[in-house]
Amino acid sequence: MIEVVFGVFLLTLLVITAVAVVRTENLFVAVMLMSIFSLLMAANFFILDAADVALTEAAIGAGITTVIFLGALALTAQREKRSPNGRFATLGVISVLAALMIWATFDKPRLGDPDAPVHQHVAPWYLEQTPELMGIPNVVTAVLGSFRGYDTLGEVFVVFAACIGVLFVLSAGQGLDRGLFAPDPESEGLRHHLIPKVVGRLLVPFIVLFGLYVQFHGEYGPGGGFQAGAIIATGVILYALLEGEASALNALPRSVLLGMVVGGALLYTGVGVAGMLLGGNFLDYSVLMSDPVIGQQVGIVLIEAGVGITVCGSLLSIFHAFAAREAR
Amino acid sequence: MLDNAIYLVVSIAILVTMGLAMARAILGPTVYDRVLAANVFGTKTVLLLSVIAFLYGRPDFLDLALTYALINFVGILAVLQFFQSRSRTEAKEAKD
Repeated sequence: MIEVVFGVFLLTLLVITAVAVVRTENLFVAVMLMSIFSLLMAANFFILDAADVALTEAAIGAGITTVIFLGALALTAQREKRSPNGRFATLGVISVLAALMIWATFDKPRLGDPDAPVHQHVAPWYLEQTPELMGIPNVVTAVLGSFRGYDTLGEVFVVFAACIGVLFVLSAGQGLDRGLFAPDPESEGLRHHLIPKVVGRLLVPFIVLFGLYVQFHGEYGPGGGFQAGAIIATGVILYALLEGEASALNALPRSVLLGMVVGGALLYTGVGVAGMLLGGNFLDYSVLMSDPVIGQQVGIVLIEAGVGITVCGSLLSIFHAFAAREAR
Repeated sequence: MLDNAIYLVVSIAILVTMGLAMARAILGPTVYDRVLAANVFGTKTVLLLSVIAFLYGRPDFLDLALTYALINFVGILAVLQFFQSRSRTEAKEAKD
């Protein structure tokens, strides 16, 4: 009952925020509202008991998207341009699509219905077999890392491709260091502001440590490679904000970041290939060790590390790509 | 039982303050109202998640609230940086 009240209240706020984001013409206000939107979204996931997803939304939405949006905003005008053409066509297309989606929801099973097809297909088998085959308590990690290892490999390649795509688009005409996060050399970052500097310096190691905890605790609680990669990237971005982008690039040069993007994906694939060489199927971790349960655990830890490395490298590469752009 | 009643009342109070912060974020009128509203909203989310974690009896979900508490700060620093570099650019343009 109480979940329903929370859910309805938060979803109402979500709709109001979404309308406000569309209505406002000030892009900075839109960025602020988007950060509220993501907080609401994470609270909703949390109430639906999807802790892993909520943690992802928390790690990506609260810190990194705001920073990247602001980086993009610094390169453009603060107000949205009005485009008089095609407004009615857009309205028509959106209305038809919305009507179709609302119509489709009539076929949807009730929220949380235990007889819904999605809960009857393979989910019971996963829940039953996870303790036996892997011996880890978090079924989400088991499904993500092992049962659906192919899907996660695909996701890692999507992150990889997205990173390369953003770098490719943004590096056209590059070479001038004058974006948001590297203004002029005499006053880089926020290093002249005492309070953010002191508090921020204290926080950086804790954020990175917490990221590592999320990475390696993913088999026992909410967390895993995606979330950990984002949290560690946030820690490095905090350092870049405090000390200027150049110092962050000194600590972690672009080549290292690209190496992380490629290396993580390679590590994941490598674990799969190692399974094949040891006589199993691609991404079958049972053969990695003499005991299949330990083998599964080793495999999951290794591929989660691959995911984390790729995500962290990609987010930081994208951040630096925005920061290095010339405003026009 | 009493614990649950307290958690319930607290979470509803937090929902109300979230609604108020929301109103400030949408009404504005200045940009700083919105920055403040977003910041307050972040804090309220951290509190709501922690209280709900105890209400549901899943204190291990506190990890999530902790993530927000650590990371929200970075977003606000980025906003500071944004205004610092924007005002500097404007000052430079005015000088030119």
